[in-house]
Amino acid sequence: MEATSDLDRASAALVVERLTKIYDDGTMALDELDLRLPAGSFFGLLGPNGAGKTTLIGAAAGLVRTPAGHVFVFGHDAAVDLESRLLVGVAPQEVHLDRFLTARELLAYHGRYFGMPRLEAEQRADELLEVFDLTVKGKTKPNRLSGGMRRRLLIARALVHHPRLVVLDEPTAGVDLELRHELWRYLRGLHVEQGATVLLTTHYIEEAEALCERVAFIRAGRMITEGAPAELIDRYGGERLEDAYVEAMRQ
Amino acid sequence: MSTTELRIRQRRGTIALAARETRRLLALWTQTILPPILTAVLFLAVFGGALGKRIHDVEGLPYLTFILPGLLVMTVAGQAFANCSTSLFQAKNEGYIEDILTSPLRPWQLALSYMSGGLLRGLLAALTVALLALPFAHESAQPALTALALLLTGLVFSSLGVITGIWAETFDQHAFVANIVITPLALLGGVFYSARTLDEPWATLTRIDPLYYIVDATRSGLTGFNEAPEWLSLLVTAAVALAAFVTAATLIGRGWRLKP
Repeated sequence: MEATSDLDRASAALVVERLTKIYDDGTMALDELDLRLPAGSFFGLLGPNGAGKTTLIGAAAGLVRTPAGHVFVFGHDAAVDLESRLLVGVAPQEVHLDRFLTARELLAYHGRYFGMPRLEAEQRADELLEVFDLTVKGKTKPNRLSGGMRRRLLIARALVHHPRLVVLDEPTAGVDLELRHELWRYLRGLHVEQGATVLLTTHYIEEAEALCERVAFIRAGRMITEGAPAELIDRYGGERLEDAYVEAMRQ
Repeated sequence: MSTTELRIRQRRGTIALAARETRRLLALWTQTILPPILTAVLFLAVFGGALGKRIHDVEGLPYLTFILPGLLVMTVAGQAFANCSTSLFQAKNEGYIEDILTSPLRPWQLALSYMSGGLLRGLLAALTVALLALPFAHESAQPALTALALLLTGLVFSSLGVITGIWAETFDQHAFVANIVITPLALLGGVFYSARTLDEPWATLTRIDPLYYIVDATRSGLTGFNEAPEWLSLLVTAAVALAAFVTAATLIGRGWRLKP
């Protein structure tokens, strides 16, 4: 039984089992949450503010302490097995970038923190600067970049060490429409061409509908439902995912 | 991935973070390297030059020679502490520590990387002060002992800096430790006086200050004069260094005040 369970965990990109998180102020962010992300999927996590999305992402990336429950990344326990960190690339919701480094250094140092040899990390940094149209800003420090550029740099940073699971916490929050569509294009490429599993949280339902193969609705730290967008529309009614979301939250 | 490969990656990551810390302190050299050198030179000038001739020899040593080891210890201690506590506090306060916390580095490797910047800053400043003081100082009696004592000083205070950086949630808390803990420890550590000449309770207060043993070991290395046995001084310093390092690594491992 245990062996089967381990195999199941290893075959999925992310397995969350009965994960509970209560913050010091008593806020219950996650309440015995269960979730399974198939490897290779583009998965959307939707829910209102305070639903527990960022906490869940933090638990997967090692940014949040979770004394109750388990998170497995490709079979590695995220709480104790440091190899799991190499498999996850996370772009947090808030943009916090090391102000002592230039954009290129920031990417290269990230790669090196994750164990890449220096030359390889620098080559990867150049490659990502080009992909995210930041090459001319390579020698610029983050505080001299525009908001959109900083957001792109943050996403680029998450990708430096070739993670198999890319976690993006509201990557298009506060960015203009043009950049949002550029990011969509890149994320699709990342998923289709490079085979990365993507976990995306967003408040833009149309974004999830456009990008995600599977979507989960969570509220108050608990899973409400999960499935392909079309399945959720069938389940909750309406014509679009947004209708299903509103109906699911209302129930 | 094999355990060996993970270890290699963690080692590379540790070196990279240490390199980042070095880069930061060199980039900010007017704030990190220059001020401690200036302070120590002023101490040397005032106590050695202006006041030194009016102060009798202490324990048979010219006053400047007597205080120089303590000034070196104070320089290493203050700079190692300030570098680690400030760098970690900034990373935490500005949020970019998440890049480090998501990395595969082990807690002790994170602590050691942050400490490396403090160690380098402290030892660079001490070396410069020592070179500037060379014309006025005696030849070092035991250079290896001096180097070991200063290295242990750096380890103790860079670990304390990491602990403070983790603990402090405001600039006030950060400054509190520097002003209320580190400065009194330095002033009560026998830098400017011999503990044997003190009345109670000052003699006892000095002898329970770990800095006293560090200063004494350094003084023994530089001048050959010591009040406590060298082995005791090194043992106390090494024990404090180990305890501080283990505490820093444990706090990082538990995510205390670093992770919600």
